Order: sequence, then C-alpha cells, then structure tokens
Amino acid sequence: MIALNNSKTWKLSSYLIALVLMVPVLVMLVGGVNASTQLFSHLWQTVLPSYLENTLLLAFWVVLLALIFGVFSAAIITQTNIVFKKQLRWLLLLPLAMPAYLVAYLYTDLFDYAGPVQRSLRAWFDWQSPSDYWFFDIRTLPGAALMLALVLFPYIYMLTRGAFEQQDQNLTRASRLLGLTAKQSFFKVALPLARPAIAVAASLVLMETLADFATVQYFSVNTLTTAIYDTWLGYGDLGAANALASVLMLLVLFVVLAEQKSRAGLRHQSARPNLNRELIQLSFGQQVIASIFCWALVIFGFLLPLTLLIVMAIEYSDVAQLSVLMSTGVNSLKISVVAATVAVLIALSLGLYQRLHSDKYRQLPQQISGFGYAVPGTVLAMAMLSTLGPLDHWLNGVVEALGFTAPGLILSGSLFAIILALVVRFSAIANGTIVSGIKQIPQSLDYAPASLGVNLKGSLTKVHLPILTPAIFVAWLLVFVEAMKELPAVLLLRPFNFETLSSQIYQLISDEMLEQGALGAILIVLFGLLPIVLLNKSKEKV
Amino acid sequence: MTVLLTIQQLSVKLQDKVVLSELDLTLDEGEILGLVGASGCGKTTLLNAIAGFNKPSEGKITIDGLLLNDGKNCLPAEKRQVGMIFQDYALFPHLTVKENIAFGIAKLNKAEQVAQINHLLTILKLNDLGDSYIHQLSGGQQQRVAIARALAPKPKLLLLDEPFSNIDARLRNELMVEIRLLLKQFKMTAIFVTHNKDEVFTFADKMAVMAQGKLLQLDAPSVICQQPNSYQVADFLQLGSWLPCQMKATNAESLLGKLVLKAEDVELGNYAYLLVKPSQIILNDNQNENNVANAQVEYISVTEQGYHYYLNSIVSSNSPSTLAFNKLSLYSDTALSLKQQVSLSIKPHDFLLFAKND
Repeated sequence: MIALNNSKTWKLSSYLIALVLMVPVLVMLVGGVNASTQLFSHLWQTVLPSYLENTLLLAFWVVLLALIFGVFSAAIITQTNIVFKKQLRWLLLLPLAMPAYLVAYLYTDLFDYAGPVQRSLRAWFDWQSPSDYWFFDIRTLPGAALMLALVLFPYIYMLTRGAFEQQDQNLTRASRLLGLTAKQSFFKVALPLARPAIAVAASLVLMETLADFATVQYFSVNTLTTAIYDTWLGYGDLGAANALASVLMLLVLFVVLAEQKSRAGLRHQSARPNLNRELIQLSFGQQVIASIFCWALVIFGFLLPLTLLIVMAIEYSDVAQLSVLMSTGVNSLKISVVAATVAVLIALSLGLYQRLHSDKYRQLPQQISGFGYAVPGTVLAMAMLSTLGPLDHWLNGVVEALGFTAPGLILSGSLFAIILALVVRFSAIANGTIVSGIKQIPQSLDYAPASLGVNLKGSLTKVHLPILTPAIFVAWLLVFVEAMKELPAVLLLRPFNFETLSSQIYQLISDEMLEQGALGAILIVLFGLLPIVLLNKSKEKV
Repeated sequence: MTVLLTIQQLSVKLQDKVVLSELDLTLDEGEILGLVGASGCGKTTLLNAIAGFNKPSEGKITIDGLLLNDGKNCLPAEKRQVGMIFQDYALFPHLTVKENIAFGIAKLNKAEQVAQINHLLTILKLNDLGDSYIHQLSGGQQQRVAIARALAPKPKLLLLDEPFSNIDARLRNELMVEIRLLLKQFKMTAIFVTHNKDEVFTFADKMAVMAQGKLLQLDAPSVICQQPNSYQVADFLQLGSWLPCQMKATNAESLLGKLVLKAEDVELGNYAYLLVKPSQIILNDNQNENNVANAQVEYISVTEQGYHYYLNSIVSSNSPSTLAFNKLSLYSDTALSLKQQVSLSIKPHDFLLFAKND
C-alpha cells in the first residue's frame, strides 16, 4: 500500500488518543489483579460463585431465546411467503429501541399479583389468594432472560436476515438442481452459510446481556454487574468492585475471542444477492403459526410496552413532570451531544490516520480505540473511578503545593468522567461507521488531489470530508442515541443532583413510580428508533 | 527534441520487496510512451514513483530540469506538475463535471478558471454535461472528464494508468485514436501503462517492455516488433511461435529443416529458439513425395485471415526430442483437418534466434 503522509504530530496525537481511551480499563484491571487475595478469597467463599452462576445462566437463556426468536423470524421473513412480510420486515427491528429495564417494569406491572392480568383472572374465576392458582413469576432469572431476549433478538434477526439475503442465489439454485426441496435447501445450504453472521449476532447479544444492569437489578437477580454496583455504592469498597469488574471484563474478553475464533476463515460473501429466490409456500396453518410467532415478537417486544407507556403518559402527565423532563432531557442532550461529537472526531482522526499515514502500525490506534464497546458500562464506570479518582487527588495535591485552593474532584466528580466513559464505550460504533465510509472511497481518490497540485489538507477538506458527510452524520447519530440510552456508567459517575433521562427513569422504576416519568421513557424509545430507521433504510438500499 | 523526463538508476522497494531495480529511462517532450509488461512487473509502481506516491529507495527522477527525487529528498506529489488519469478515473463523486475540472486550478482567478473549464469542455465535447454529476455519465464521458481534469492544471507530464481497461472493446480503438490526437494537440508528454500490446501500437510513439522490475527494451513499437532484443520481450508480446534449433558451426538444425546462420547467432550455445511469424512458415504441397510430413494439426479456428492452425511436431525416431515444437501458429487458406499430418518449412529471412534464458 502506498502512503501519503508521515506527520509526526498526527502520529503522536493518534497514539495518545488511543492511550487515553485504553488506560482507564488497564488501571482497573491492574487494580483488580492487585486487590488483596484475602478480599478475593472472601468474595469467592461468599457471593462470587452465585453471581457467576447467575450471570452465566442468564447469558445462556438470553442467547438461547434470542436465537430462537431471531433466527426463526429471519428465516420466515426471507424464505417464506408470509403475509404482511413487507411490514414485518422492519417491524421486527423495533424492539431494539426498547430498553430492557422498561419492558421489565411494564410487564411486572402487568403480570404481577397486583397487576391487571392477575386481578382480572381472580375476578373471572373467583380465586381468593395465590394458593388458589398458579401463575408464572416474572421477577425471576428466566423472567429477566425473557425480557432481555425480547429486546435483544433483533440483533440476531437483523444480521441473520442480511446473511440470508446476501447469499449467492446460485448456491440455492445448485442445491435445488441437485434434488433438494426449498425447505431442505434452506436447512442444508442457507442456514449453515449464515452461521458466521449468527455467531456474530449471538456474541453481540451475549455482550449486551453481560453488560445489563438495570433489568437484573430490578428483578433482584444478582449478577456480576449488580454486584459491582452494590460493592461500590453500598459498601464503598473500590478494590472489591474492581476485582468483580475485572472478572466480568475477562468474561467479555473470552466471549469476544471465542466469537472471533469460531468464525475464523468463515466468510461467505456473494456478488449475486439472493433477492429473487423461490419462496417456501406456507399452508394456511403454517401461515397462522408463522404470523402469530412474528407478530407476538413485535407486539410483546415493542407495541404493547409502547402502548402501556403512552397510556401512562396520558393518565399521569402534568406540568411539573414536563419541567423535570425538560431539565433531565437537557442534561441527557448535553452529554450525548458532546460524547457523540468527540467520538466522531476521534473516529475521523484515527480512521483517516489508518488510511493516509505511512506508519507501519497505523491501524493500531483505531483498533485500540474500538475495544471499549465490549466493556460493560458498569466496568467502565469502575475503570473511570479507579483512574480519575487518584488523578484528581494528585492534581489537588499539586495545586495545594503551589499555594492555591484545591479545586476538588474536577475529573472524577464532573461530567468529564461520564463523557469520557461514553466516548470510550461508543467509539467503536463511530469507528465502524466512519471506517466503512472511508473504505468506500476508492484509493485513487487519495492520490487524485495530489496529482492536481492539492496538498493533504486540501484533499481532506475538499474530498474526504465532503464524501464522508453521510457517514459522519450516521456515526454521530448512532453514538448520540446510545449515549442517551446509557444507564450504568451514568448512574455510577454522575455528579450529585445530576439526572439524565435514563438515570431518572431508572430511579422512578426503582421507586415503582414509572408513571411519573412515562413521557421521558417514550422520548428514550423514540430516540432509540432513529438508528433503526437509518439501519433499515441502509439495508433496503442493499 | 528536448528531453523532458530523465530517470536514472531508479529502485523502489515496497514492504522490503524490490519492485523496481536500477531503471533508466528518458522521454522527449511531446512523446507518448506505452509501458507494457505482465502483472506485477512494476509498471504501476514506476508510474507512482514518477507521480510521487511511492518513495524510491535510490535513483533520480528529473522533469524539465526539476529534480523530483534524488534517493533522499522527495518532492511532494502536489508540487511535481505531473497529472494522472487513474484506472478508475478517481473522479470526485460529490462534485459536478465543472467542479471536478476546476479542482486543480483553484489558484487561478475566477475568470481564468471559467475560461479554462469552458475551453476543455468544448475540446472534450462535454459542453452539455458541465453541471452533471459523475454517476450521470457513461464510461466514455467519465474518461473524457478525467482527461479534462488532468489537463486543466497544464501538467508537464501526464500519466495514464490502464486508461482503456474499463472501456467497451468496440469503443476502445476509436477512443484511443481520439485521445492520442488530443494529447498531440496539447503537445503533451505522456506515459501510459497497459498490459495490452495492441493499445501501445495504436497509442504510443515509444514502447517500453518491463519484466520483474527491469526495463527490457525501449524503442519505437515498430522497431520492437521487428527487432525484439530478447526471448522475454518477443514472448511477452507474442510476436510469433518458437522453433527449437540445434546450433552448429554455420547453420542450425530444426525439425523444419536447416537454417543458414549469421556469425553472431552461432554464439548462442548448443540450443536456441527461432522466432517464427506465421508469414514465415510455408505449408508444402503434400502431394509431393519429397515433402515428408513433420507437423500435425492440433487446433483449428476460422479468422478473417483464413484458417488459423496450431501445429505440433511429429518426432521421428532419428530426430532428437529436444527439437520438438508446440503450437506453431500458421494462417492458410487451405482447409486442413484435425490431426492431419503436413509438411512445413521456413522461408529464408533474417532469422531471429534467442537463447531461452535471456
């Protein structure tokens, strides 16, 4: 590859950015490893095994359920003649906009002993007490798994659907000519070929599950994330919290490595997308079952929770709520706008560095900056506290030594910590979008400006950035929305009396008063819809 | 004529691999040079080194007295006054045709820019397309925009990287003639890279054949065609078929008869290869008993010049197998059948003999 630039400042700043993004997690890991063995053995003898067991069990159930929901719905949409296919195709993506903790609260409200469903059943059948009948308990580990699977399955649906649609149609045709029916061809050719995409999607679901905090906290299922939160906020024990966070981090790392290993060398791309394939014709009975399956996912994953929120908002909204919503909304906007802008600037700088610099390891800063996505918000919050706390103390010491008044916790106790955490966590999203935008620019466009007498600066401002504008916009929007929704990092790092939409809603959920924040919850869902609309549009173009 | 481009002892290493090795080349002002060679022979690397996209490890490049490279210092690409037409044209998709052409002449004042753009639009027959975006143009129109954009800053040297590879075969010849006339009209010195020798014959004044990072021959296409300087050059350009010969004191023996040699050919060693063009092969009358069959038809196709045959040798027990030949190319109006045995001989001419490891 031919390189154009060898600016030392650019090189230094790129590695510095990558270092800043990576150091907090390293500090936390070192802190975790160095935590006293006594503390660790205490944790191991008391709570750690059950936390680990719960975490792994939850992960197993969520992935299993999400695979069933996602792969079957993708297969039905791409391989059969199901009615309302066009509508279901995008409707099945919508649950992704619904935070799991909202669904958890709403369904608990609906299906609890005091909820409308059980109340109606008791009234109809004249049951007097819980001992008169059996009803599933939603606030359990399987219940939490179902809630998470209901909103995470679209990852699997989306990637598997894409994989099916991108498969070489000649492979299907060849299998049909070799005597397979459409159904056999699906199971023997299409499904095995989609395995890499399914593996990627399942690992995404797994990572999201390991990172979940609010749902399991609400359902009182003790996992590693809730343990980190309790250990730090409940007992103020940073060392133990770091140790737990390190265990969780290693678990996530294991998932990432296992996923990469499982699909090494498995790439099935096609120049002949399978858009006009012969569809499996469903019988009437099959149509009914397939429709119930898909519509149930859309209704329980999105439409019903949204309706419940809208009903709550109509019943309980008042002016006081609106003013709270305004102030928390502005706070959310503030941190999300800054985080999205910083993440996009970093992604642009590192993406273009990777493309245009002569450094032999030019891809390294960009790769390092992207790893934060795998770090759960709770872990990241611990990492920020472990790094910025001591840094604050050191800064205060220096300032006092110089004879000035100590400024206080200017890094760990301010919005800086939240924004840095959001940037670390979501840089990978901005990177992915910007790098794929850069990859679409033909290499010759890097050289054309120079051949016309225009230098690198001119080339960046006149060619690369204008061409990248759509990618920049999408990257910014994706990070913005994720930052609006982020909860655990914000909860652990926010300064006193600083509430965002998500932290306020979580607080209200904890106090069983979501009604007071229904409007804010709807707002989060609506923001969550933006990237789905974008994703759907870009998929439609394929 | 004045020499415009001088390249001396140029070597380029990419990822520790030597891609160009001690290459020398000169080009006169207004000349068009066609660079040919197999894939990976270093032609595009040479173009990139001249343009400033590769940093040579050694050697000098000078254009019109301006030193571009001296092994240590390397003038940035944007200061070289070298234009380039890329294989995929590299037109800016977010700009219109006019804006693309204006890209390299931003330093001129507005009026000069407009005049220059209009001049180029007219010459390149793009008048109605000035406000169109690139995706709205055909392949041929895109190529013309790429030429206009490259010519706008008035470069001293124009580089063209496989400029015709994306053009439909039927239009290609027409376009080559048109662009050659245009470059001549602008008195433009140009180097273009291709792997198609026919493009060089149509387009270039000079031809350079490259292999493994070295320049094998540099001359007018007609000269190279008549007098290739090595087995590699003749073989790459497919100038004829090869007839193995055993070298003797004053002649060479082949399965198609004895050849009387020139003094310098005798020094080629025990075995050499005769370059045989189809027109130098005689298909003997097979009714004549004296004409012993020495070749067999292996492949037949019909062309506008009559039948085209590939013939393999018939090796007899008293002829050495080292003299066996393959795929001797022959055009003839006589209809032959597959596997038919025929008698061939070589027309007396100035024989071109090469050792194979040249």
